[in-house]
Parts: sequence; structure tokens; C-alpha cells
Amino acid sequence: MGSYRKADENELVRASLDGDKLAFGEIVNRYRKMVARTVKGMLGDSVFAEDIGQEVFIKLFHSLSEFRGEAKLATYIQKIAVNLTLNEIKRRKRFFSMFSQKGDDEIYEYDVADHDHEEKRDAKEMVNKALMKLDPKFRTVVTMRMLQGYSTKETAEILGLPLGTVLSRLSRAQEQLKEILKKL
Amino acid sequence: MKCSEVKNLIISSLDANSDPDGITRQLEEAGVSYDFSEGFSTRVIEKIFSAGLVVNRELEFVRNMSSVFYRIAISGVAAIVLLLISIYLMEGSISINSFLGLGDMSDESIVCLLTGN
Repeated sequence: MGSYRKADENELVRASLDGDKLAFGEIVNRYRKMVARTVKGMLGDSVFAEDIGQEVFIKLFHSLSEFRGEAKLATYIQKIAVNLTLNEIKRRKRFFSMFSQKGDDEIYEYDVADHDHEEKRDAKEMVNKALMKLDPKFRTVVTMRMLQGYSTKETAEILGLPLGTVLSRLSRAQEQLKEILKKL
Repeated sequence: MKCSEVKNLIISSLDANSDPDGITRQLEEAGVSYDFSEGFSTRVIEKIFSAGLVVNRELEFVRNMSSVFYRIAISGVAAIVLLLISIYLMEGSISINSFLGLGDMSDESIVCLLTGN
């Protein structure tokens, strides 16, 4: 995918719209880590995350004609990633509530236990565990802030929330995380 | 990086006045980084463009069907016109009765034909 390495995002979008595989491949390569941080941060490091990651780029490809270039391509992709991941969280929540009597907290406990094969308590594992124990609406803002490094304003723009809501969620998430991290 | 340091980073990343970008970088250096598995891009591209191929094949099928329908429709119209001309030549008019082969029949003879009396 060498020929588009130095191309700007508008050029990549135009070429992708013309069906250029190399151009879209370059977009995937440029933003795959960003999407992985969002999807895996919110869903956990699982095979589901990989599928959602693929869906993000497939949806991006099919909606590229709607991209006007007013916002950055990264922001546009980030919005798709957040929406698809939140949909998956809702779907999984419905699935679990249909087949078990577990409460929300227990569902997330299940997710954590599923990935907890090793005793090794490295930084990534600790972050994953802490995130999975958070309520999804807090997890989303924490992922944007902690893993993506977005400002509160950027987080509000991507999530389509008022700045005040983002600030209050961050503050409540911080309180929850303090309690969660004490136990880890 | 020690566990306690990572915990402090996580907590401080959520402060409204913190530098989230810097903290993200520090967390990445501590091993908190995410990526998809090897060959992710190739799989995405394959999924997108093989789906495109299916759509193209469907479009081609629809195009072929409409060209076949066009030919059938033209021959059908030609057959109908020929039939109407032959009816006109044989019966002298193109009424529904002559189309049904009842051109020179009266109502009574039809009743006789149907009842057998």
C-alpha cells in the first residue's frame, strides 16, 4: 500500500470513492489503532472487538460519499466506532438479560472473568479490568479521554453530548474508578 | 511502571485540567496499547470489495434480465399486431366479439350452443 503513504485524507477519500483498494487500505492502516483503542477499550479485548472493528471500516466505506470534509476524517471514523460499539454493548446486554438473571454489574464481571486467564497483573490488564467494571456510559467518556487522549471538548463533539454532561460523567467515572482500582 | 503509578495515571487522566494526550502516551509506554490482529486491513478490504463483486454480479443479472424481457416484449407486441390484422381481414372488424371468434353469431345461437337445445 505504498503509493498513498504520503497522501492527505481528502485525496484518500476521493480515491476510495472511485473504488481504489489501495487508498482505502491506507485509510484502514492509518486509523486501525485508533479504532482498536475505542472498540477494545469499550468492549474488552475480545474477538467481538475485532468484528466490530471490521464493521466500522465497512460502514465507513459505504458512507464515505456522505463525508463532506468539514470535520477531520478521524472524528468521523471515531463517531462510527463509538456508535457501533454502543450498539454492540446494548445488544449484548439484551442477550444476557434474556438468558440470565444477572444484573448489569455481574454482566461486566463476566466479561472481565472471561479474559482473566493469566495471573499477570500488567498495566493493560489492569486498565481493561477497570474499564469493564465501569458503566458503559462512563466507559465511553473514559475511553475517549484516557485511551484516545481527547480533550473534554473533542469528547463532547464525538459523543454528541453537551460539554457539561461530559464533565459530570468524567467526574463520576473518576469516583467509580477510584473504588474499582482500590480492589485491583 | 509500577501498578500504583498506572493507577494514578488512570485517575489523573480524568481530571478536567489534565493533559490527556500526555497521559495517553505514558500509558502506551507502560504497555496500554491496542491494535487488531495481523491481516486486519486485508480482511476488511476483502470483505468490502468481494461484497462489491456480488453487487456487480447482481446488477449484471438484472441488466441481462431486462434485455431479455425487452426482446420478449417486442416479439409479443408484434404477435398481437399480426393477430389483430388477421382478425380484421377475416371478420372485417376488430370488436371483442370478433376477437373471441363470435363475430357473426347472435345471442340466441350462443344460448343454443351452450345449452345444447
